[in-house]
Amino acid sequence: MAMSEFGIVYAVHIITVQFGSVVSKVCECLLRKGPLSSRDISRLAESDINHNQVKDILYLLIQHNCVQAFSIEPPDGSESKAIVQYIVLFNNILHRVRYNKFSRIVNEELGSECGAVLDGLLSNGRLTLGQLIERDRDSGKTIGSEAIRDSLQKLVAARFVERIPSPEPVLGNKDQEPAKKRGAKAAKILKEPETLEERVVEAATPVDAIRFPLIFEEDFNSSLADDDSNITEGKRKQRDVDSSDPSSRVIWRPNFEEFIHRLRHKACVEIVKERRDEGCAIVLRAMLEVGRPQEKKVKTDNSAPMSVGSIYEEVIKTEAGRTMLQERVEACLDQLSATSSYLPAFVTEMNDSYIVDFKSIISVAQKDEIEAVVMRRYGKEAFRMFRYLSQEGRFVDTDKIADAALTEKKDTPQILLKMWKDGYLHMQKLAITGTYVPFLLWKVNKLIVTRQMLDEMYHASLNLNLRLAHELESEKELLMLPSDKLEGPLKERVKKVRAKRLLLSSTMFKLDDAIMLFHDF
Amino acid sequence: MSKRKRPDPKSSGSNLNEPHEKLLLNLIRSSQEKGATMNELKRDKTIPATMITRLTTSLKKKNLIKEVASMNNRGVKHFLAMEFEPGKELTGGEWYIDGTLNLSKIEDLKVKCVMILERHRHRVVTLEVMCGYFVKEEKLSVEQTKEILKNLVLDNVIMEVKSNGLNEFASTRIGEVCYKLTGKKSGNGEARAGAFASVPCGACPHIGLCSPDGVISPSTCVYFQKWLDF
Repeated sequence: MAMSEFGIVYAVHIITVQFGSVVSKVCECLLRKGPLSSRDISRLAESDINHNQVKDILYLLIQHNCVQAFSIEPPDGSESKAIVQYIVLFNNILHRVRYNKFSRIVNEELGSECGAVLDGLLSNGRLTLGQLIERDRDSGKTIGSEAIRDSLQKLVAARFVERIPSPEPVLGNKDQEPAKKRGAKAAKILKEPETLEERVVEAATPVDAIRFPLIFEEDFNSSLADDDSNITEGKRKQRDVDSSDPSSRVIWRPNFEEFIHRLRHKACVEIVKERRDEGCAIVLRAMLEVGRPQEKKVKTDNSAPMSVGSIYEEVIKTEAGRTMLQERVEACLDQLSATSSYLPAFVTEMNDSYIVDFKSIISVAQKDEIEAVVMRRYGKEAFRMFRYLSQEGRFVDTDKIADAALTEKKDTPQILLKMWKDGYLHMQKLAITGTYVPFLLWKVNKLIVTRQMLDEMYHASLNLNLRLAHELESEKELLMLPSDKLEGPLKERVKKVRAKRLLLSSTMFKLDDAIMLFHDF
Repeated sequence: MSKRKRPDPKSSGSNLNEPHEKLLLNLIRSSQEKGATMNELKRDKTIPATMITRLTTSLKKKNLIKEVASMNNRGVKHFLAMEFEPGKELTGGEWYIDGTLNLSKIEDLKVKCVMILERHRHRVVTLEVMCGYFVKEEKLSVEQTKEILKNLVLDNVIMEVKSNGLNEFASTRIGEVCYKLTGKKSGNGEARAGAFASVPCGACPHIGLCSPDGVISPSTCVYFQKWLDF
């Protein structure tokens, strides 16, 4: 989904807090103007940042995985050299506020040593094994170089850490590609047009064997020597700068894709637990474990089909699942495949095998999130109208909406207009000859509502951040006092500030989950 | 319907045989229970616009037409031939009394419906049973009962399910439309409270006017102030 205005403001705010205002100027310039060369950035960034400074800032942002360099292959016959351009990775900037969530996944799954290695990578962006060992040596709680190496290996095997992408992939010139005749088959598999960001990221990502090497040490170079043509999008082959370096010079970074993948699965289990029950959640968790190896991308609509036997095998691996008989698992699967006006099917059955319908699970949570806002902002009548229009999925006239929602016909247009003004409804005027008042038709356009909600959620996240900063700033002196010196009213004030901080931070955490629901899942 | 009076030739200066009057009456009759407004009548070019006010007054006097206000716009009068009762477009439908929605009755029926579902043994009631009760006890039509049930579905208080003949649906026919309560009490999950809706910004009517350095800003926001007032 495209970046919205407040998405940009929020991303710039994150960068400003973590790297300062000069870096954020460069970042904002890239966010607003799209990919640029370093010369263009120094010209367009509304500040007197010279070219050298811009280059330093770009290296810093690349180090922290917020910017990716690339170039576009010049047209055939042209003698001009390809100019290096820089593209900002909006998603990776937003991931910066999720580092705690990522760290928690690794700590739970692989233990605290792996957690410590990941934390090093998260806070430094990119590091070599040597740098990780050095960092550990300088820290208070040393775990030793062997432990670091083992942990890194585990992280790579679990795909939580990857080798850095190609520093400067070359994109094929799109205009030059011969226009292929698209047959019926091609039309079927025709995907949504990729954004430039997606193309650049795809071109920069090495093949899995290089990205997550199995052989970690001595033989490492040989694995790099493999054909890496997948790195580039087109014809040119690009080698990583460090491919000829010894294994300790290989640079690693956190693999955000895998973290989002895990968080998506976690969110699905949570949704099923809330909307169905604990038993169904256990069965779904097992299904996700069974299907995970086959999932090639994060935003996949359906899992691979799986049999009851394979699901049951996975269910009994967990402590909670051990109490379940296969009969109960089958009953849960029936429950998960049931549909009503209240819930769609979360699992579909096909020839005795079951498929997880991710899209339907996620859409239930998205719907809850949207409807909760409609209810709170516009009231019960509006809630009914909105739900009716979502159900219908087509244009409906005002009177029909009033009849279905059983609301006063005179008040209905005002309520609908309010929602339309805020971008929650789509409206079309139908001029009929002979009547003065145009006939109004209404519809819920999910894409428009989602975009609107997301923009408002970025706005709210920014506001929560700013309010927290404001609260802490206004009591700065008080918070600097040692706690043993606090008495009476002062102690109360500190307590209040802490309570505010807790509420604001926990709300930010939950709101970010909702943002992921709309943007990343 | 009141008995139509015989036109009194003395009370009016013209008679129905006047071609324009007959034409106008037919025009009003053709609009049936929807009725026709003054503007609509004037738009029909067969009768001179200047005559219409006089002709309608005369037809009213002869008790051949009546004037009904529309519930959507009480200022606009609709002319209906005497033999027609005002339609749904003018009165608002069965749920309206004198042009206003009978909200208390609707709410009352909704509460009764929820009570039936709460008291039922398996907390599953078929559409047939629901209709049976409301038609007999509340004198509603089947259509009206369905409207009440649909409204509760839109409220997210009940859900419509097709019976599969198993467990709680054992006493129903497979494929029969049934109703169940939503929510934890009835053994179902609940909709999420909504992370965004629980932040003041989620309910804020001025979010479009709010900006970090604007007149409305997060550091001066009164809603935030209230929310963070421990």
